[in-house]
Amino acid sequence: MPVVMIVLFGFALSTELKNVKVGVYTPTDDIFTRKLIDRIGESEYFTIVFDAPDKEALDAAFLNNTIEVGMIFQDNFYSTISHDGRASVQILLDGTNMNIAQMAQFYLRNIIGTSVQELAQEVVMADPELSLNLPVEIKPTTSMLYNPQMKSSFNFVPGVMGMILTLVCSMMTSVSIVREKERGTMEVLLVSPVKPFLVILAKTIPYFVISALNLATTILLAIYLLQVPVSGSMLWVVMISLLYIMVSLSLGILVSTLVSTQQEAILISAMVFLMPTLLLSGMLFPIESMPVILQYVSYIIPARWYIDAMKALMIQGVSVKYCIDLVAILFAFLVAITSLSVYKYKDRL
Amino acid sequence: MIWDGSFRKKIIKYVNSDTEPFLREGEIIRAEGLTKCFGDFVAVDHISFSVKKGEIFGFLGANGAGKTTAMKMLCGLSKPTEGRAEVAGYDLKWEVRKIKRSIGYMSQKFSLYEDLKVWENIRLFGGIYGLSDKEIQIKTDSLLERLGLEQQRNMFVRSLPLGWKQKLAFSVAIFHEPQIVFLDEPTGGVDPATRRGFWEMIYDAAEWGLTVFVTTHYMDEAEYCDRVSIMVDGRIEALDAPSALKSKYNAANMDQVFHTLARKAKRDE
Repeated sequence: MPVVMIVLFGFALSTELKNVKVGVYTPTDDIFTRKLIDRIGESEYFTIVFDAPDKEALDAAFLNNTIEVGMIFQDNFYSTISHDGRASVQILLDGTNMNIAQMAQFYLRNIIGTSVQELAQEVVMADPELSLNLPVEIKPTTSMLYNPQMKSSFNFVPGVMGMILTLVCSMMTSVSIVREKERGTMEVLLVSPVKPFLVILAKTIPYFVISALNLATTILLAIYLLQVPVSGSMLWVVMISLLYIMVSLSLGILVSTLVSTQQEAILISAMVFLMPTLLLSGMLFPIESMPVILQYVSYIIPARWYIDAMKALMIQGVSVKYCIDLVAILFAFLVAITSLSVYKYKDRL
Repeated sequence: MIWDGSFRKKIIKYVNSDTEPFLREGEIIRAEGLTKCFGDFVAVDHISFSVKKGEIFGFLGANGAGKTTAMKMLCGLSKPTEGRAEVAGYDLKWEVRKIKRSIGYMSQKFSLYEDLKVWENIRLFGGIYGLSDKEIQIKTDSLLERLGLEQQRNMFVRSLPLGWKQKLAFSVAIFHEPQIVFLDEPTGGVDPATRRGFWEMIYDAAEWGLTVFVTTHYMDEAEYCDRVSIMVDGRIEALDAPSALKSKYNAANMDQVFHTLARKAKRDE
């Protein structure tokens, strides 16, 4: 365990940026802009993934989460810069993840600032015909999408929701079922004519209710105390949360079929559910900056998909069709985990 | 393979097994070649026996001899790897649900809900076995009266002494009037006087026609049974009335009989 933690925190988990997905829109294509974009793409922090044909396409890419940072160059970027010695570029940032947004902004400004003079000279050298008044200046303006006041609560509310639900559902369910096993009351219930499946279902219903109440409290606190607006459809926020609650409950049941003491149940819930949920779900550390292996590991953490969906629905306020894939993935988790625990359950009998 | 007619006999036996009742006259449990393997480990090795209606049947064996596993199979808690058995007239493979309705079970660990009151436990298990509220109420009153627990009706089970808990657990196990009750080491950890009190309850219940299937490792309890079987290393080494076993092995009491047989055990505990 300590080895895993040291390695995770030391190497894998960092708040540094790596390969942030950038989309660009250049109304007038020219060699200078190209070179600048290449410079940004060459850095280890950014990868240019999308060259938008128009501004709407860039916005759509933002909604789909195919890009995390957008850059919109001014009309006639090059001619403006050669005449006036200054031009502007707009940087769009995703306010649902403050860490990434602020750092991306910092690095982008840095790259632009350091490379602009070099580039200008290069361009002039390559084509002396061109007139360029040195020194030139590029003025970046930033605008934060979804979270204009840059409140950090916007970032952590979906994460906290994911964490609380994982904790309550998985840990409490598994512990409560295992406790009956430990005390021997489970055996007595299983000898009775009541179907084993019904016994388990009955055990989970109270936790479903508790989780639903927790969900309501969290959402109300987020809205009224932290003033996080639910910009998307409230109905879908609740529906997807309920789906996630069921996924977590089924995880709890799965654990309870695997272990036989309460300590084991708590340990597994904490190590296998809570820690990955905290560290790998993208709540604290950006998933994009993790090593590839950990990125794959994060795929099997249901909380990751849930938190993504909550960010999209609550903060970005997109309609549900933009995160229907996340819903499908959560649903697949539910089916897979439930069938696995039913299988395990029969196996034990 | 040489054709010697054994195959034909097998077929006839198979066909007949459907027409002839598996349980013989007066029997309530019958097992033939019942086996349970956990991987390579054979916990219960082809045991065959039968239990008569209304009998107190003792199931003896050292720890790890396989008696709890055998009992769990008969209760439908564990699927047999091989073999056939009928309990209360129902096949263990196909009619587990019907078996479960006609048996009661008291596990090794004391297994009532400690954080429920006495009457709440009775109410819960009555409900699980599908008794109506009215039935439960009437039977609860008479049960508590019989046990002398009227005063403790609203007490938490946690605060009862162990001997009383066990009596209550037994009463709850037979609350729905099953045909058979399975008791898995029911009297662990109590003094001999309390144990005797418990066995008086078992005798009372057996007089009403209840069949009692009980595992134990107290040899004085074995004397109370009508018949006992002794398991060693997953097999039944002896099965008879205690008096018959004692004369067969030339022993003064069941303890000696048991030690003569258990000495053969090769399996570690």
